[in-house]
Amino acid sequence: MIDVTIVVNGETRRASVPPETTLLKLLRENFALTGAKLGCDVGDCGACTVIVDGMAVNSCLMLAGQVNGRNVTTIEGLATRDRLHPIQKAFEDTGALQCGFCGPGAIMATKALFDENSDPNVKDIRDALSGSLCRCTGYTKMIEAVQEAARVLRSESRNSSHTRELKVTAP
Amino acid sequence: MNDDTKVLEREQLDLAETLRRSDVDLRLPAVVPREPFPIEPLTVDARQQTHAVGQRATRLDGRLHGLGQTKYIDDLSFPGMLYARIKRAGIASARIKRIDTSAAEAIPGVMAVLTGSEIPVNSFGPTFQDQPVLADPIVRHAGDGVAAVAAVTEQIANEALAKIVVEYEPLPAVLDPVAAMREDSPKVHAPNSNIYATKVVRKGDIEKGFAESDRIFEARFSTQMIEHVSLEPHAAIADWDANGRLTIWATIGRITLARADMARTLKLPMSRIRIIGTIVGGNFGGKNEISQEPALALLSKKTGRPVKGVFTRGEEFTATTTRHPIIMDYKTGVSNKGRILARQIRLVLDGGAYCSWSATTLGKACILSPGPYKIDNVVAEAFVVYTNKTMTGAMRGFGAPQVCFAYESQMDDIAKALGIDPLEIRLLNAFDEGSSSPTGQVLHSVVVKESLRKAADRFGWEPRS
Repeated sequence: MIDVTIVVNGETRRASVPPETTLLKLLRENFALTGAKLGCDVGDCGACTVIVDGMAVNSCLMLAGQVNGRNVTTIEGLATRDRLHPIQKAFEDTGALQCGFCGPGAIMATKALFDENSDPNVKDIRDALSGSLCRCTGYTKMIEAVQEAARVLRSESRNSSHTRELKVTAP
Repeated sequence: MNDDTKVLEREQLDLAETLRRSDVDLRLPAVVPREPFPIEPLTVDARQQTHAVGQRATRLDGRLHGLGQTKYIDDLSFPGMLYARIKRAGIASARIKRIDTSAAEAIPGVMAVLTGSEIPVNSFGPTFQDQPVLADPIVRHAGDGVAAVAAVTEQIANEALAKIVVEYEPLPAVLDPVAAMREDSPKVHAPNSNIYATKVVRKGDIEKGFAESDRIFEARFSTQMIEHVSLEPHAAIADWDANGRLTIWATIGRITLARADMARTLKLPMSRIRIIGTIVGGNFGGKNEISQEPALALLSKKTGRPVKGVFTRGEEFTATTTRHPIIMDYKTGVSNKGRILARQIRLVLDGGAYCSWSATTLGKACILSPGPYKIDNVVAEAFVVYTNKTMTGAMRGFGAPQVCFAYESQMDDIAKALGIDPLEIRLLNAFDEGSSSPTGQVLHSVVVKESLRKAADRFGWEPRS
């Protein structure tokens, strides 16, 4: 057994697991974060995509031990109690989620893309989603969703400095 | 009458309201009322749905999918739950001489091992009940299960599979569907013939049609086996409780059929079986019947604990249904102007080791094989045959995409040989309003020509002839 301590969605969590445990199994079975899905278990489908230190990874290919001391974001870490993340909203609105099994992975891949590039073109989006397989909806709606989410996030970041000023002046 | 109904509804509402209030009153002050999730709930305005066509609609379950909160089978777990794995034969055709599970059973953490002989009625299937839950004693394709294991972890279950010793006596295998149709071919389900369903559609006089034709085109087309590859693998959880009630959570699109099949294989009254169809992570026709569920149920019965089974991606390809490969012989007689006068078709569907939805696929492929064209003289014959390969079953279109590939390919060949534009030859022959199909069905709302013209306009089709 090995001891693993990671920060998941801003919360420090510990587990003692067999050394062959993958990050995916650690998240799903030890931390009850079942948003990342097991589709192929060999890194082909991307349903298990999570973000480790800013990079989108296939969590089925990463051992839990490799993640020790690192920062992990999963689909459960995007929405807050009062607000969907704009990527989730855009995926929902454009119909990019059908059976939904690939959705969390594709959304996390999109999140990793936005962390690096707030204004991606279609080629950038295709590259970012190339590791996420979908068998129902196809990719057209996903690309639409990513473009829509990018627009929303950019307009929000333009307005955010303004919002902060308002807060300061409020009694 | 109407007034009475209104009164009744109002009374019921009042009663419900009274009950709700009394419930609120009964709550202990210490119990904090659960806050509703503040994210605006996804509701559809009923008035927006009156003219559904052209409306942008969002999926009602899309919210949960996007949040990662949808519970697929693998996201569920129960106290004491065990993990099941199935040992696959890995040989296309054989007789099992001996199975030794003792080494597997001795591994700490292995709670139960199951073989085919322990299954009350070891056969199931949506059309013919020709498929065993676990092969006993004949293995008919490499993906056949031969034993199942339930263990406390998946790793232990995998280790146990490796410790199960199976001795096989290899039998001759049939892999080519055309060879399988011969009388002297080895029989997949001996002593029965390998041809297990046929269909013939006849219209007009085929000989006369060919005699009147200026040119006759003959070609053979074939398609390959295709797996659905739904992103979520086949998965199920079985819980056979101490009251003798069986609950199954499964990724199955047809739960009523599954319930009947379960009752049959387990010799259990249907009233004792509850099947809960969860949200399916992609079906495409591949999850329309039971697969591992009876084995999971019996493992649960043996251990007294819930048992979960999730197929690996490899098993998805070898042990679940696939799309039929079809060998399609087309003989088409046409006039010099490109009008189809006669078409004779022979389809051989590779049915794999078990029937599954083959008979349905056969029917649809046969009926649709002449294509959406006005042809007065048609003969279409179709056969589905057993081979020692992964079974074929339902998949989007039930045989229609395969025959479409064949007849449209031949249309292109004919157009090229006659020097006619491929679009023109289709417009010349396509169904009109009121045309009748080869089975005599009179067709309405036929817009095939209009669709072709619009599509040609959209992508800028220019005659190439």
